Amino acid sequence: MTDSFEIAGVPLASRFLLGTAGYPNPQLLAEAVKASQTQLLTVGLKRSAQAGDNGFVAMALAAARAQGARLLPNTAGCRSAAEAVQLACMARELYDTAWIKLEVTGDEHTLQPDPFELLAAASELVKLGFTVLPYCTDDLVLCRRLLDAGCAVLMPWGAPIGSGQGLLNPWALRTLRERLPEAVLIVDAGLGAPSHAAQAMELGYDAVLLNSAVAQARDPVRMAHAFRDAVRAGRQAWLAGVMPAQDFAVPSTPVSGHAFVLS
Amino acid sequence: MAKTIAIAGAGLAGRLFAWALARAGHEVRVWDAGPGPAPAFDGQGAAAFTAAGMLSPLAELDRAEAEVAVLGWQSLRLWPAIVAALHQPVRLQTEGSLLLAHRPDQGAAARVLQRLQQAGADLSSFPTPQPLSAAQLRELEPALPAGPQAWLLPGEGLIHPLQAMQALHGSAAGVQWHWQRPVAEVQAGRITLGDGEQVHADWAIDTRGLGARPTLPLRGVRGEVLTLELAGHGLRRPLRLMHPRHCVYLVPRSADELLIGASEIESEDRSPVSLQSAVELMAAAHSLMPQLGEARITRLDRNLRPALPHHRPHAHSAPGLIQLNGLFRHGWLLAPALVQRLLTQTHPDPDRRATPRAAGRQQSGRAAGLAATRAAERGHGGERPLRGARGKTRHHARRGRPGAVVPTHRRRLNP
Repeated sequence: MTDSFEIAGVPLASRFLLGTAGYPNPQLLAEAVKASQTQLLTVGLKRSAQAGDNGFVAMALAAARAQGARLLPNTAGCRSAAEAVQLACMARELYDTAWIKLEVTGDEHTLQPDPFELLAAASELVKLGFTVLPYCTDDLVLCRRLLDAGCAVLMPWGAPIGSGQGLLNPWALRTLRERLPEAVLIVDAGLGAPSHAAQAMELGYDAVLLNSAVAQARDPVRMAHAFRDAVRAGRQAWLAGVMPAQDFAVPSTPVSGHAFVLS
Repeated sequence: MAKTIAIAGAGLAGRLFAWALARAGHEVRVWDAGPGPAPAFDGQGAAAFTAAGMLSPLAELDRAEAEVAVLGWQSLRLWPAIVAALHQPVRLQTEGSLLLAHRPDQGAAARVLQRLQQAGADLSSFPTPQPLSAAQLRELEPALPAGPQAWLLPGEGLIHPLQAMQALHGSAAGVQWHWQRPVAEVQAGRITLGDGEQVHADWAIDTRGLGARPTLPLRGVRGEVLTLELAGHGLRRPLRLMHPRHCVYLVPRSADELLIGASEIESEDRSPVSLQSAVELMAAAHSLMPQLGEARITRLDRNLRPALPHHRPHAHSAPGLIQLNGLFRHGWLLAPALVQRLLTQTHPDPDRRATPRAAGRQQSGRAAGLAATRAAERGHGGERPLRGARGKTRHHARRGRPGAVVPTHRRRLNP
């Protein structure tokens, strides 16, 4: 059964996007990538693209290609639109991809995206022909503006990057899903446990993106498996339609003669 | 019977091999690309000169596999005897190290401690982090201000890399050192120099760093450190700060000198230390010891750690050939144990080539290491050969052998 989604016309069968930072070593990274079956692998360039390529990105790229995945460079560490645009252009030249995960940090403590610089950078990059995947907050108005600017998808946060707290504001995420039914929505950042990923998928999100939850696990490869399965489970649940909760018990098998017990 | 030994690389591993084998009476020659035995602090040369010299098998479990810890504890047992046998003083301390976390960063500390606990679950015979009360911390380290949470890692230590590198060179009597001579290839019984010249020896030993490419798929991982001078700083033990973003340690080099390290960047950029790294390292260290505000920055240094994709060292021996490369961030922690292992498991007779059982046999690492360390725990001392190696040695001893690389009675590294 294929249940793919599309970004800029490219079908993606896996709804699990994975990051490449902070693994114990590149070999475990490659094994985790394989276990995840991801088709979109993000890689940060801020501190290594300047000079002295040591082959790390090539290793990530090889791991991605081994299963037909694309590399998605990110602009992590950038604090202004100008800086992010410059890094995106460098990434496009280096890795021959016009896809960019756009990150513009507005607060050093929470690493919260700066919505104003983000929108400026997104508008500029779209004009330059990029396929822009912005890491954003869950603000509905910001998300609309990013779509208006031509972003291919929206990637609101679940919680601050690396915090592992899960979906801190499910209401806002649900609202985005309801109000932007046509948009491709991906929860990015803040997931800690596979159940968080399943929860995002159950809300009707198209995919999830995470990194630390796998990289920092005691066994990153097994955790990549776990998230892959959770994403599939959550997606299946969304398609199947989760039964709404109610406040009292209902026997699966009707029993006559006890109707008044419930009153 | 003395053998001829040709060593490629005069970093820490090369110097340990040279020193141990010269002591055992062999004829040792060493080739290295560097300009001489002393460091230039120019981002080139042996990573051992830039390293902090922390001997922290427990703390390294945060990112490394259990085998690193096992070998590290073995090395901690070997260092005192090595240092005692050197002709120059080398600062070596094994009074433990400290993990510290500022209270708002408890989440970061919890993650590290959980990883140490889980990774160390198989290593129950080794120390574990001991939480310290404020009073206990004050007693151990009076120079530290109150505030941070602290854990003692008993038995961990530090060595002074510059002193040790100099002393190993100076104590390796009779060794011929050939500087500015890069090595192109190392094969059994033969070293090929960069200019095409070939050197033959009974044993060739490859201890090169990134120079061992393309034989090994090594990459360089940039690290940056700062040296500070502050008279009477008072810090006794190495500290690691558990922080959500940065991995920072502070190492007392002498009563007046400290080292702050280290960044870990996926880059082979050898250019000088970046402002961002310097600011991050200094801010973190200053947050632990505000009195460092008046310290003087005497050196900013950087280098590349040679690493294999799995971050484990490549330790291999075959007749006429020993390879020890890719020690990544664990050179000072692992080198003595690995050099000892390679010398004890070495095929005793280079002329009796390649019985399939002996040729190229490699320790399967973790299991063998654990076995050896448990033997050490039982009181046999860390200097005994590993089990597998011991069996092999007996096997050849029965057949009689004309001469081992390291004679039987001096097979150990330490006297």
